[in-house]
Amino acid sequence: MNDPKQYAHPEVLVSADWLAEHGNEVRIIESNEDVLLYDTGHIPGAVHIDWREDLQDHVIRDYISPEAFAAMCERNGIAPDTTCVFYGDKSNWWACYALWAFRLFGHEKVKILNGGRDKWIAEGRPLTREKPSYPHAKYPAPARRHDDDIRAFYDEALAHSRAKKPMVDVRSPGEYKGDITHMPEYPQEGVLRGGHIPGAKSVPWKRAANDDGTFKSAEDLRKIYEGEIGLKKEDDIVAYCRIGERSSHTWFVLSYLLGYPTVRNYDGSWTEWGNRVRSPIERS
Amino acid sequence: MGQPRPVSHRTELVSYPKKLEGIIGLFESLPEEERRGLLIDYAEGAARCQPREGEAFDLEDIRKDEECTDTVGVFLKVDDEERAHFRIALGPQVQTLTKAMTSILCKGLENCTLPEIFDLPADFVPKIVGGQLVRIRSQTVYYILTRIKSICKVYMNRQRAARLTA
Repeated sequence: MNDPKQYAHPEVLVSADWLAEHGNEVRIIESNEDVLLYDTGHIPGAVHIDWREDLQDHVIRDYISPEAFAAMCERNGIAPDTTCVFYGDKSNWWACYALWAFRLFGHEKVKILNGGRDKWIAEGRPLTREKPSYPHAKYPAPARRHDDDIRAFYDEALAHSRAKKPMVDVRSPGEYKGDITHMPEYPQEGVLRGGHIPGAKSVPWKRAANDDGTFKSAEDLRKIYEGEIGLKKEDDIVAYCRIGERSSHTWFVLSYLLGYPTVRNYDGSWTEWGNRVRSPIERS
Repeated sequence: MGQPRPVSHRTELVSYPKKLEGIIGLFESLPEEERRGLLIDYAEGAARCQPREGEAFDLEDIRKDEECTDTVGVFLKVDDEERAHFRIALGPQVQTLTKAMTSILCKGLENCTLPEIFDLPADFVPKIVGGQLVRIRSQTVYYILTRIKSICKVYMNRQRAARLTA
């Protein structure tokens, strides 16, 4: 039996029951891989934030500016003190990614709907196609993006690898070994070399999730991350995958469910590392 | 000395199969929001594209490959007039855009000849789904067209080989 109180920050996970009761007090945000899924039906009151269209710069490979983030929040009726509850498809990959991006801009009141979209539907809960409209909120542009705290760039990941600090590769075993350059059944997004960052340990993201998309218990998570690969709370940890979405899921698990204070998501991930001239690669 | 000949800026006009052209025209006439709504309507119709009991096909191509998140089966029947009829079976994890393109192409390419389909340029896809969706999910939108062309090519190659060995 999973006791949510065992998580380091149990308040960041909400159940469908909780959301059904408190939906009017928070802003519900759907973020999916399937770009039209929200339009087919969503949790009543939910707004749609697309990881690529809304959160990423359209020209440079980077996130939007603090000003653009503030504008996006304002048009979705989100103020700095609004509690945002994220959910989505694929066991909440993109929901965790969107949550991580909100944290990049310092938005603190964030939660995840445990089990995401699939569990909400599996429980027979309502969906609607009606798109909500909220009064324009006031969101001052954040003074800075918190890249230093929760995001790793290539040079930092390289230094991390050289210093033999803990690094978690959350991709599939085939990607880690270098047999394939993308996750099974997904597009090959232009990676020239396969393998993993030297020293990285393999823990596929999926190991942190149950079959219904909910997160595993704190005890099970500790067995995986502490028991199997020896992570410790005081560690400085970098997680990566292919483009930073699956590693957002692991980042959420390590930061919020296990309470590790220093975890960064290397969002450049393998699509940067595997293409970079002379970046060191291990295969096994 | 005669008048200089005007420089021709005419670009070659591509004509699409009639049914497909109708669908393209409809999508092009819609604003973004309604275009998405129509895509979802088509996506919901994808279940009707599945093979039906008792149907026989000349070629079947059922695959779960790297460009799609779930299994997609393409079934081709070529009638006596050498015109193609498609059925497509989709796994449950297939994305909404792929479902929509399944419905659109099954309807739009019904009764076309195989060379017509094989030579069809892919430039109509952005006209249907809109430039924005192509830009943010470029891998998804062309998948079903590629699979349909692929099965047509295999069928034509087999026919050609059969003629050569006859």
